[in-house]
Amino acid sequence: MKGDCIAGNNDSCIAVITLASSFEPYEEAAMWGSCKTENLGAEKIIINTVSNSNIRYLLICGNESRGHLAGRTLIALHKNGIDEDGRIIGSDGAIPFIENISRDVIERFQNQVRLIEHIGLVDIDEIRRIVDEYKEKEGPYHEAAFVVESAKKKSRPVMDVTSGDIMVSGNVMLDSTSGIVCEVKSN
Amino acid sequence: MFRFQKEQEIVNIAGVKIGGQPGELATVLAGTIFYEGHSIVEDADAGIFDRKEAEALVNMQDSMSDETGNPSIVHIFANTFESMQKYIDFVTSVSDSPFIIDSPQPAVRMACAEYVTDIGLADKTIYNSINMSITDDEFASLANSDIDSSIILGFNAMDSSLDGRMALLENGGKLMDRGLLDIAEECGIKNILIDPSITPMGDGAGIALRMTMTAKAKWGYPVGSGIHNAPSSWSWLKAKKKEDPLVYKMCDIGTVSMQQLAGGDFVLYGPIENARYTFPLAAMADIMIAEASSDLDIEPSSSHPLNLLV
Repeated sequence: MKGDCIAGNNDSCIAVITLASSFEPYEEAAMWGSCKTENLGAEKIIINTVSNSNIRYLLICGNESRGHLAGRTLIALHKNGIDEDGRIIGSDGAIPFIENISRDVIERFQNQVRLIEHIGLVDIDEIRRIVDEYKEKEGPYHEAAFVVESAKKKSRPVMDVTSGDIMVSGNVMLDSTSGIVCEVKSN
Repeated sequence: MFRFQKEQEIVNIAGVKIGGQPGELATVLAGTIFYEGHSIVEDADAGIFDRKEAEALVNMQDSMSDETGNPSIVHIFANTFESMQKYIDFVTSVSDSPFIIDSPQPAVRMACAEYVTDIGLADKTIYNSINMSITDDEFASLANSDIDSSIILGFNAMDSSLDGRMALLENGGKLMDRGLLDIAEECGIKNILIDPSITPMGDGAGIALRMTMTAKAKWGYPVGSGIHNAPSSWSWLKAKKKEDPLVYKMCDIGTVSMQQLAGGDFVLYGPIENARYTFPLAAMADIMIAEASSDLDIEPSSSHPLNLLV
């Protein structure tokens, strides 16, 4: 599980996103976790969801994270997807961008689950009731679990630097761009 | 330690100096008050809080600052303008420290910019923050205010690498038509504080440390962050916290010295209650850094912890 999420009943077909609220998890849900940000948080919800084909419903409840509007952003992402720059179409969150997951993963998310929209719902008994209502409502998605590999971060080639812009000691310099510490040879 | 070749800027915000070479000035520490879930707040929207408790917290931070030599800033968080207005009035009535105004709601930030201008407190105000989500309205609001100090946030939602964050500040990267530093200048910001942005651990939290050095080497502006946010979403540590809350507290506060060792000039250290632990830790790190820089032609200031505590 990525982020602030825990796994519950793996056969359950409902997962619960509590947005900015924190509740004691209900083990009948396949996944239970918060989502406070409209970018990295939303990405983790998608990755966790598509990694379990049994999840067919996503209950979005709890208090909305103010400013970030992670709940409304998840709804917009599910409905509209992203534009060519990675911006979540129709989100009014502060910085609603998807950086680390590809378009096909988002499409899988859109196809695999339906959202149960209850932003603002903090009644734990009602949340549990909804989980019980939906936990066996539908069979698994027809495609296998989609394991999203973490994007390999760009790495720069190790450079052979001979000087730098941060002095460590008399003849030792650190080049802040490459991150390499070098000994400066005197002529 | 190390010394930057680039001349390092020192800004002066209501008497608090921030910046310089590592070992030159004491690290400036900002504790957050009225944060989400703060026990002293009774009604976060209306701004109703326990004034006695709040005053004790601000006084504690001020006292720790006086004792260690690490200057302090009060980081005020609010979700509504009504509450922010009350918090600003309160904080400025009990402390001379500059303050950061922070809200996730752009409308609240804009109303605050106008408010501090109207009441003559813009020179003590640090705006948090100019970031990639700035709109034309927020730009105009800031430009029309008297605020001249702001945090510039390096969070790049499309490219969280070091290069992506630096590009956002320098030329807007692939997201904006110009860099955030230019935007800040156009808004009348003279005291620029760069925050490399702290993403969760596993999402590049550590890049902020590299960027601290890179930004200072390139521009010479003061750099710092709310680095305690890095472990706040770390599931493994949260589980450990249930066994022993001290484990979490230690990691939370310990992040401060990481930011200092990377050359940071200021740290938003989180809940102001932690001042009693954060200031001694930061003072210790400052002393070690100053001693490690002693042969780099860097003179610690007279109020530096090195000159006050050892």
